[in-house]
Amino acid sequence: MIKAVMVMNTQGKSRLAKFYEYLSVEKQQELIRGFFQVLCSRAENVSNFIDAESIFGLDSRLVYKHFATLYFVFVFDSSENELAVLDLIQVFVETLDKCFQNVCELDIVFNYSKIHTILDEMVFGGQVVETSSSEIMKAVEEISKLEAASNAISLIPKSASGWRSR
Amino acid sequence: MAMHGMRGLSIFISDIRNCQNKEQERLRVDKELGNIRNRFKKEKGLTPYDKKKYVWKMLYIYMLGYDVDFGHMEAVSLISAPKYPEKQVGYIVTSCLLNENHDFLRLAINTVRNDIIGQNETFQCLALTLVGNIGGREFAESLAPDVQKLLLSSSCRPLVRKKAALCLLRLFRKNPDVVNVDGWADRMTQLLDERDLGVLTSSMSLLVALVSNNHEAYWTCLPKCVKILERLARNQDVPQEYTYYGIPSPWLQVKTMRALQYFPTIEDPNTRRTLFEVLQWILMGTDVVKNVNKNNASHAVLFEALALVMHLDAEKEMMSQCVALLGKFIAVREPNIRYLGLENMTRMLIVADVQESIKRHQAQIITSLKDPDISICRRALDLLYGMCDITNAKDIVEELLQYLNSADFTMLEELSLKAAILAEKFAPDLSWYVDVILQLIEKAGDFISDDIWFHVVQFVTNNDDLQPYAAAKAKEYLDKPAVDEKMVKVCAYILGEYSHLLARRPGCSPKEIFSIIHEKLPSVSTTTIPLLLSAYAKILMHTQPPDQVLQNQIWTIFTKELRYESCIDAEIQQRAVEYFALSRKGAAVMDILGEMPKFPERQSSLIKKAEDAEADTAEQSALKLRAQQQPSNALVVTDQHPSNGEPLPVFVGQLSVVKAPNMNNTEDHSSTEQVLSQENGNLSQVDQQPPSADPLSDLLGPLAIEGPPGATVQYENSAVSGLESGPDVVDGSAIVPVEVGTNTIQPIGNIAVRFHALCLKDSGVLYEDPYIQIGIKAEWRAHQGRLVLFLGNKNTSPLVSVQALILPPAHLKMELSLVPDTIPPRAQVQCPLEVVNLRPSRDVAVLDFSYKFGTHMVNIKLRLPAVLNKFLQPLPVSAEEFFPQWRSLSGPPLKLQEVVRGVRPMALPEMANLLHSYRIAISPGLDPNPNNLVASTTFYSENTRAIVCLVRIETDPADRTQLRMTLASGDPTLTFELKEFIKEQLVSIPTVAQAPTPAPPAAPPTPQIPPNDPAALLTDLL
Repeated sequence: MIKAVMVMNTQGKSRLAKFYEYLSVEKQQELIRGFFQVLCSRAENVSNFIDAESIFGLDSRLVYKHFATLYFVFVFDSSENELAVLDLIQVFVETLDKCFQNVCELDIVFNYSKIHTILDEMVFGGQVVETSSSEIMKAVEEISKLEAASNAISLIPKSASGWRSR
Repeated sequence: MAMHGMRGLSIFISDIRNCQNKEQERLRVDKELGNIRNRFKKEKGLTPYDKKKYVWKMLYIYMLGYDVDFGHMEAVSLISAPKYPEKQVGYIVTSCLLNENHDFLRLAINTVRNDIIGQNETFQCLALTLVGNIGGREFAESLAPDVQKLLLSSSCRPLVRKKAALCLLRLFRKNPDVVNVDGWADRMTQLLDERDLGVLTSSMSLLVALVSNNHEAYWTCLPKCVKILERLARNQDVPQEYTYYGIPSPWLQVKTMRALQYFPTIEDPNTRRTLFEVLQWILMGTDVVKNVNKNNASHAVLFEALALVMHLDAEKEMMSQCVALLGKFIAVREPNIRYLGLENMTRMLIVADVQESIKRHQAQIITSLKDPDISICRRALDLLYGMCDITNAKDIVEELLQYLNSADFTMLEELSLKAAILAEKFAPDLSWYVDVILQLIEKAGDFISDDIWFHVVQFVTNNDDLQPYAAAKAKEYLDKPAVDEKMVKVCAYILGEYSHLLARRPGCSPKEIFSIIHEKLPSVSTTTIPLLLSAYAKILMHTQPPDQVLQNQIWTIFTKELRYESCIDAEIQQRAVEYFALSRKGAAVMDILGEMPKFPERQSSLIKKAEDAEADTAEQSALKLRAQQQPSNALVVTDQHPSNGEPLPVFVGQLSVVKAPNMNNTEDHSSTEQVLSQENGNLSQVDQQPPSADPLSDLLGPLAIEGPPGATVQYENSAVSGLESGPDVVDGSAIVPVEVGTNTIQPIGNIAVRFHALCLKDSGVLYEDPYIQIGIKAEWRAHQGRLVLFLGNKNTSPLVSVQALILPPAHLKMELSLVPDTIPPRAQVQCPLEVVNLRPSRDVAVLDFSYKFGTHMVNIKLRLPAVLNKFLQPLPVSAEEFFPQWRSLSGPPLKLQEVVRGVRPMALPEMANLLHSYRIAISPGLDPNPNNLVASTTFYSENTRAIVCLVRIETDPADRTQLRMTLASGDPTLTFELKEFIKEQLVSIPTVAQAPTPAPPAAPPTPQIPPNDPAALLTDLL
C-alpha cells in the first residue's frame, strides 16, 4: 500500500502532500521536514531509495525522484515493489508534463487542484488504480470538460505572479 | 479547473509566495482564515461558487501545514451540491481534511450512497474515491453490496469499475465480512478474465488483499494468475497504452507475481511448469540497457520474479541462477539495481543451499559497504551481517572494524553493534574476540552499549587461559594517551582482576599498573571511579610482599588526597571506606578481594537483542509477505492483550521461557542499571554469600547480564525445571501418536504426513481442521532456529481460550512468545518460537494446542518439526579433508558401524537425494567402490558447537534391502543419534498412502533408548 505521496521543492516547501492513512497536520509537517532533511543532503547519481523506517515508522519504504526544483516522494509498505513505484513516479511526472506541456514548479503551485485530480486518477486509497498515462489523461480531460460546462475554462498562466504585479 | 476564474484564490497563492518569511506567511494565513470563518458564519448569501473558492483556500492552507479546524461542515455540504465542480471540491476536500471517524462523515453516507447507485458515472467516481480514501466500518456495512454490483456490472465503464474494485478493497479492510458472500470467490476468478487492463490491475490488487487473508478460498484464481503472467511477459499481448518503455504493463506483472506469492505452493504440475517457464523467460530475458526508465521497469519485473522463485522453492539450478544474477546486479553501475541486488541477496540467505554461492560475492559486497550512497552501505551491512558464519567471521568483522574509521556518522551505532554481535557469535578464538571488542571500544566507544563490555569481562573471567592475554591487552590500550571512558572501565576492571598474572613482565609491576590506571582518574566521571577504586584495592591486595610506598599512595587516595572517604557520592564513599578498612587487615582479605567467581553460562543479552532485531528483518523478508496485506487483525489481538511482560501462568515452570514480545528496550535499559548497582554493591556482599552455593545467587551476583531480576529468576527457574524434571518432560518418541482424543473435530489432511513434509522443508501447514489452520515458517541458523506459528482462524466468529504449550525434549530450549487468548474472525496471528539446540538427540518437541469454538473444546498435540536434521549444514569435503579425519576417528564410541536390514529398496542416486534432503552432502567419487556413498555434514548445538560428521554407506547391488553404515564424529552421542536418525529414514519412508487420521508414526525399527534419558526409559515402560 502507498502510504503517502509528497512533492516538495528543493527549499523544503511542500507543493503536494497526500497521506493515505490519517495523520494530524503537525505529524504531516514533521514527516515532510524529516524527509527533506535527508533528501537535500543526498548527492546526485545515487540510488533513489532512502531509509524511511526511522522517520515514518516500521514497514515503510521510500522512493524519490528529483526533477529540476522538485522532489517527488512516495512512501509505501513492503507490499509494493520499489522499482515499480519508481516507474509510478515517472508516470506521474510524464502525465503532468503532458498536461502542462513542460511542467514546472509554478504549474504545480497554481494548479494544485489539477494535480490532485491527476493523482486521484492514478492512486486510489493507497492503491494504484491506473498506470497508463494516456488513460489518466483521458479521465482528467473528461473531468475538465465537465467543469468547463459550468465555468469558463482557462489554465492559470505560468506567469501568474508576473500577472499580479502588473 | 475548479479554481479557474477564482481570482481570489490565485491572488491568495501569490500573496503567500511573496511572503518574505514564515511569520509573514502566518499573518497572511491567519487573515485569510479569519475572513473565511466570518463568511461562513454569515451563511446567508454564500453561493456555491463562494463556498468552493473558500474550501480550496482551506485545502491550500492545510497543505502549507496549518491546522484548519472549521469549515468541515461546509466541505461536507458541498458533496450534495447538484453541479459537478462544487460536488468535486466537496469530495476532494472532505477526503483530505476528515478522517474516517469524523462525525460529519456519517452525515454524508446517504448522499454518497445516492451518488454510487445513481446513473451519473462521474458522480459515481467521486463517491467511490471518497469511500476508497476514508471510508470506515459504517461505510463498509452500508455500501459494500452496491460497490460489488458496480465492479461486476457489465454495463459500467472500466473507469468506474476499476475504482469500485479498490473501493471494495478498502471496505474489506474495514470489515472482512464484506466478501463473505456466496460465490464471491468464483466471481473473483471471473474478474481475472477481464480484458481491460485498468480493471484487471485494480482487481489484482484486490485479489492480493484477499488471498493474503485466506488463500484457500481463492485457489481457483491461481491458474488464472499464471495465465495473465504468461500473456503479459511471454506473449507480450497488451494494448499499446499499457506498454511502458516497451515493457507490457510492468505494474500488473509485478502485482500478479505478488499475488502468486501468497499461495503456499502450486500443486498442479502443468501450472507449475508453465509458471516456471515464464519465470525462466523473465530471468533470462532481462538486460541492462541505457534508458534508465526502461531499466527500472524491466528490473521491477525481474526482482519480483526472483522473489517468486525464492518463494516457490525452485530447483537448485534455478536458485543458483538467481544468485548468479544477483551477483551480477551488485556489481553494476546503476545504483538502484545495486541496492536491490544487495537487498534481495539478503532475503535469499534464508533459502537453503545458496549460502555458499553467496559467499563467493563477499569481496564485491565489501566494496558496496564503502559505497558513497549510504542507502547502499546499509544494505551491504545487512547482507554481510546475515551471511556471516564461522568460516568468514574473521574477514567480515575485520572489514567492519576498518570501515568504522570512514563510515558515515549515522551508521556508526549499527555498524559497531553488528560487529560486536558477529564477533561474539562466531569468534574462532577467544583472544580474537577480546581484540575485536577492545578495538571497537577504541574506535566507537560512544556507540558501544555497556553490555558489550560486560560481556568481555564475563568471557575473560570464565576462561582462565585468556586472562593474562586480556590483562596485557588492557595495559596496552590504557597506555595510550586519550582513552575513551568505556575503555578505562573495562581495562581497569581487567587489570584489577588479572594484572598480577603479568607481574613478571617488564613494565607490569603493581606499581606501574597502578600508575597507568591512576593517570586516567582525573578524566573519568563518578560512575567510573568506583571501578578504579576496586582495581586499586585488588592491586594492593595482590602485591605480596606488601609494597609500603604503593600502599601509602593508595591509602592516601582512599582517605585524604581526594577525600573519597567523605565523598558526597555514597557509592564512592562506601568503597573508599571499606577498602581502606579491609586493606589494613593484610593477607586476611585475600578471600574477600580475591578473583570474582565465574559467571553462569547463559545466552548473552547482546545476541538476544540481535535475534530480536533479526525477527524484524526476517519478517521483512518472507514472513512479512504474509502479514503485509492483512487488515492487521493480529494487532487488534495484541491490543486486547497488552504485552505487559507477564507470561501466562500455565507456562511458568513448565517450559523454558515464555517471552512476551518486545519488552526488550526497557529491559536492556534496566539491566544496565541493574548491573551497575549490583556490581557496586558486590564487594560488601561476597563474604556473607559465598558464590555458587545456590544456583540463584549467581543471578543476583555481579554483572548479571541477562535482565531485570524478576525475569531472570524466572528464566533460570524454568530452564532448570525443564532440564531436570525428566518424567514431566514429554519425550518425543512417546508422545508421537497422540490422538485427537475426545475431540470431535476431524483434522483435514494427515497430520503425520504434514509433519514429515515439514521435516524436509521450512514452511507449510502443520495442522488444519474446519476451524483453524496452523502454519509454520522456520529459519535455521547453526544451532538456533526461529519458527513462526501462523494461527489462522478460518471462521467468521472468534476462536477463544486459545492456548499453546510447548513440551520441549531435554535437548531443546524453546521459547514461545505470548499466544493471544482469542483469535478474531478470519484473522491470523503470528507467534514466534525460538529454538536452541543444546545437544544431539532425536527426540521431538510437541505443541500442545487447544482452543474453543462454540461449545467444542479442541485439544491437539502436534509434533514440531524441530528435528535433528534442521541443525545440520551440508558440508561437501574433498578427499584430502575426508580421509585424515576418517582415520583419526577410530572405532567406537566415536565411530560406529552397523549392518541395517529391511531397508526400503532404492537406487543409489535416490538414496543420495534422500540424504541430501536431510542436509547431508554427498561427496561423489571419494569411495572407489561405485556402490558406496560417502557423505558429510556439520552438526550444530550449543554444547558441541559446530562438529563435522562423516558418513559411509556401503550397499549391495544384489540385495538392496540391506546395507552397512558407518558413522563418525567427534562426539559419541552425536555419532549414535545421527546413525539412528539416518537408519530411521532409510528403513521407513512416510508415504501419503497412510490413513487419513493421524497415524502412529513408523516406530524406529530397533527402538534405542538413549542410556541417560529417564524420560525415554519411563515411556518405554508405559
